[in-house]
Amino acid sequence: MPVYLDNAATSFPKPEVVYRAADEFMRAVGVNAGRGAYKQALEADRIIYETRRNVAKLFNVKDVSRVVFTFNITDSLNLAVKGILNPGDHVITSSMEHNAVWRPLKVLEEERGISITAVHCDVEGNLDPLKVKNALTEKTKLVVLIHASNVTGTVMPIAEVGAIARENNIPFLVDSAQTAGLYPIDVETMNIDLLAFTGHKGLMGPMGTGGLYIREGISIKPLKEGGTGGDSILEHQPDSLPDRYEAGTPNVSGIAGLGRAVKFILDEGVEKIHNKEAALTGYALHKLSGIDGITLYGPKDNINRVGVISLNIMDLNPQKAGHVLDEKYGIMVRAGLHCAPCAHRTIGTIDRGTIRIGLGYFNTQEDIDCLLEAVKDIIKNKDIQ
Amino acid sequence: MFALLLNDINITFMEPCIAEPEKIRLKAEMSDDITDVMPYLNAVIGNAIFNKNAPLITFTKEFRLIVLYPKKLTMAKVVNQTDALQIFDWLKDLINETWDKRDTITPNYEKKHKPTVPQFYGWLPKTNCKECGEANCFAFAAKILQGQQRIENCKPLFTPEYADARETITEVLTAIM
Ligand SMILES: Cc1ncc(COP(=O)(O)O)c(C=O)c1O
Repeated sequence: MPVYLDNAATSFPKPEVVYRAADEFMRAVGVNAGRGAYKQALEADRIIYETRRNVAKLFNVKDVSRVVFTFNITDSLNLAVKGILNPGDHVITSSMEHNAVWRPLKVLEEERGISITAVHCDVEGNLDPLKVKNALTEKTKLVVLIHASNVTGTVMPIAEVGAIARENNIPFLVDSAQTAGLYPIDVETMNIDLLAFTGHKGLMGPMGTGGLYIREGISIKPLKEGGTGGDSILEHQPDSLPDRYEAGTPNVSGIAGLGRAVKFILDEGVEKIHNKEAALTGYALHKLSGIDGITLYGPKDNINRVGVISLNIMDLNPQKAGHVLDEKYGIMVRAGLHCAPCAHRTIGTIDRGTIRIGLGYFNTQEDIDCLLEAVKDIIKNKDIQ
Repeated sequence: MFALLLNDINITFMEPCIAEPEKIRLKAEMSDDITDVMPYLNAVIGNAIFNKNAPLITFTKEFRLIVLYPKKLTMAKVVNQTDALQIFDWLKDLINETWDKRDTITPNYEKKHKPTVPQFYGWLPKTNCKECGEANCFAFAAKILQGQQRIENCKPLFTPEYADARETITEVLTAIM
């Protein structure tokens, strides 16, 4: 049996209900000849609404219409960043960001002349909120922060940074790719104004789903205009949410799956999911740190982190090690720079990258034992050049 | 947990509001008959107008106009479909909770809370055309609420453009007069 340890890239497998919901939508709603076209459309709307409502509940969003669907978190982050920042604006972010934040910012730096402060994090990826406070200027129009690093698993002090942003009336955008569904998120207590999420990772939904929560009062220019359903005669994009940001046909089968996935998470409870993953993470960290020849990155303790573990084996090239883990031992991990060169610079692995283990809700202790055995074997045999 | 009085609300018809095409008006059917809860709703909803003979109960939720019948409802000035479905959730909870707690609520069979003049004025076309014989629409609204004017005298209201406003106003007048 192959062992899947790349849940940080996308969660796999999904809960059974997720496959069924997507399939059911395409068969029963999408092509149900027994119903009038109008009723079918309404049924699709209802499914989308239910997903929206589940997502809102998960993040403690009171007004369901403030949750806007996109096609992934990259989409959501582009929408927020490009819809808020204007020429001459200043943005504060961290040195641990994913390219989904970093590249849009770099484009705006070039095209709109924005200035960027990437607050430096320590070698374990930890961020000091005071540094954000000190980086504020009169021109600061956005603070954007990754919730947990996809390289080291480090969880950022979101509530603290959010409070600083709130005090200064600056919108606070959070990249929840590695936390949504796995780690408690409450947009109220954490002072989050804009929460970007992706459907296919911790939320356990299908690819091609994601979204953005937009706090009331925050104005974002849409990235695109187009049809928004209904037979509106308006010539311009409607102002009301979520329609304002949802031009074009949505991925309804995906959204149907996401709705059930989030329902599954709500039924299980984020706390329980988090505790299970934390237990596995603790076990893996403990065992790995006992093996000679393994270098672990990120927080050594298991308090402020998620189940993303970066490591290297002796001086082996991680790509090659990843390849051997797959070929010889049937273990799927991610190897390389994980779309976050800034983070690798921060932790000192920019020259070679890391092997990354991404734990998921369906992983077991046996999966980790398999990895431990394989790693020990590789170290013993030194059979990779 | 008590048995739910109302399980489901389903949209049966929807179109843009005529005077405000950014908004929508809709009709929906309810899975269960809510006649019995109406006097209790009349007691708990601040701005409700109840007609026990029709029967119907009408009220506003912020800017939205809602009319409940035993097994169907109409809503006007709804922001969009998401808004409509969110209001349905709110409404289902309100109806079921009111029904749950009916032992602690004194039912109210009276019509109450006539709309105020500015409220009623808000639903009119506001053209100040004077065709009704009044100086302006505000004066017309005041006379209507005093029973001294007939709604049919508002000519613009009976043009197709104001179909949704007409519907709401007629329903409100049925309830209060
Ligand atoms: C922290 C972080 N942000 C953004 C992304 C991008 O996610 P997606 O490809 O779903 O847009 C990822 C995943 O690759 C991630 O780990």
